[in-house]
Amino acid sequence: MAGLQDIRRRIRSVKNTQQVTKAMKMISAVKLRKSQERLVALRPYAGKMMEVVRRVVSRIKGDSEIQPGPAAQAFLSPREEKRIRVVLVASDKGLCGGFNANVLKAANTFVAETTAEIVHLDVVGKRAAEWARKRQLTAAGEYLGIPLAGFQRVVTEISEGAAAQYHAGEIDALYVIYNYFNSPMSQTPTVFRVFPMELDRRAEGREALEVSHLLEPDPNSVLETLLPRFVETELLRNLLESSASEHGARMAAMDKASNNAGEMIAKLTLTMNKIRQAGITNQIIEIVSGANA
Amino acid sequence: MSQSIKLEVVTPERPVFSAEVAEVQFPTAARGYYGILPGHTPLMTEVGDGLLYYIRDGQKHWLTVFGGFAEVGPDRVTILARESETVDMIDLEQVEAQRQRALKLLKEAHTEHDLATAQAALDASLIRLQAAGHPAGHGF
Repeated sequence: MAGLQDIRRRIRSVKNTQQVTKAMKMISAVKLRKSQERLVALRPYAGKMMEVVRRVVSRIKGDSEIQPGPAAQAFLSPREEKRIRVVLVASDKGLCGGFNANVLKAANTFVAETTAEIVHLDVVGKRAAEWARKRQLTAAGEYLGIPLAGFQRVVTEISEGAAAQYHAGEIDALYVIYNYFNSPMSQTPTVFRVFPMELDRRAEGREALEVSHLLEPDPNSVLETLLPRFVETELLRNLLESSASEHGARMAAMDKASNNAGEMIAKLTLTMNKIRQAGITNQIIEIVSGANA
Repeated sequence: MSQSIKLEVVTPERPVFSAEVAEVQFPTAARGYYGILPGHTPLMTEVGDGLLYYIRDGQKHWLTVFGGFAEVGPDRVTILARESETVDMIDLEQVEAQRQRALKLLKEAHTEHDLATAQAALDASLIRLQAAGHPAGHGF
C-alpha cells in the first residue's frame, strides 16, 4: 500500500505546480496585452516615419546640390562596415519557451559570421547579459530589469550614443538583434540594421518620378532632426516587439505546462485507482479463499 | 487633380486622425503657419507647437500638435507629431490643473532651464485650452 500514499502525494504536488503555471499564464496574458497595445499603437507611426525617411533620403541622394550634414551621411553614404555597434535584446526572466534560446542562437550566428569588429555591445535583459559573459564579450551598456515605461530612456541613450559614435568615426553601423512579434504564439529572431538605412531599389525608382520635396527651412536642418528621431522610433519599436514577444512566449509556455500538468494528473489518478482496485481485489480473493477453506 | 487632401496625424502613442479634408493649416517650427490646399508642392518640414486646423464639409476643426514632422504631397499631408490631440481627447480639468501648475512653477523658477520648462508647459496648456474653446486660452 506504500505506493498509494506516494502517488497521492505526487498528485498533490503536480496540482500545486499547475496552479502556479496557470497563474503565470494569466499574468503573462495581462502583460502581453499592455506591450501589444503600445506596439500596435506605435507601428503606424513607425511605418509612416520609415516611409517619409525613405522618400526624403532617396530624394536627397538624387540631388547633388545638397551637401548632407554628419547625421544625414549615416544614411546616405554608408562606409565600409569595419566596426559596428550591436544591441542584443532578450528577457530578464526565464520560463518563456524558446524565446531567449532562439534570439541568442541568432546572436551566435551573427557574431560568428560578421566580418566587422563589434566595438560596442549593448545588452537588454539579464539573459543577454549572461550570454555576453559566457562568450567573454564585454557589454559596454547593460540594461537590466527595464519596465515598459523605462524604454524611452534606454532608447534615447542608445540612439544618442550611437549617433555620436558614428559621427566620431568609431562605428560604421548599428545593429539590433531581437525577437520580432508575429503573433502571441509566434516570434522570429531578427537581425536588423538601423543605420545605414537599407533602401529599397524599387522604391527609389518609383519615387524618382515624383516631384522632389522642398525641405524647409533647409535640407540639413530637417535631416539633422528627422534622422535621430527615426533611429529612436525604430529602437523603441524593436524593444516593444521583443517585450510583446517575451510575454507571448511565456504565455504559450505556461499554457503548455498547465496542459502537461493536467495530463500528468490524469495519468497518476488512473495509476492510483488501479493500485487501489488491485488492493481491494486482493482482499476479496483472500476472504473468498479463506471462506472456501 | 484631386480636390481633397488625405490628412493623417499619428503620434508614437496612437493614430490621432485620418480623413479626407479640403484644407489644412499647421504650425511649423521655423516659419510660422503653413496653409495647404490640394495640389501643394511636395514639402517636408518640422512641426512646431500649436493648433492645426482642417476644413471638412465646410466646417473648421481643430487639433493640437506638439513638435514632429510634416510631409506634404499633392494629395496628402502626413503629420508625425510628438504629441497631438483632437478636441474630444482634451480633458479640461486636467489641462486647467496643468496651467495652474505651470504658472506656479514659472513664479518659482530660478534657473534659465526651469524657466523654459515652465513656460513650455504653460504654452502647451494654453494651446489645449484654446483648442477646446475655453476663455483662458484666448488672447494667447
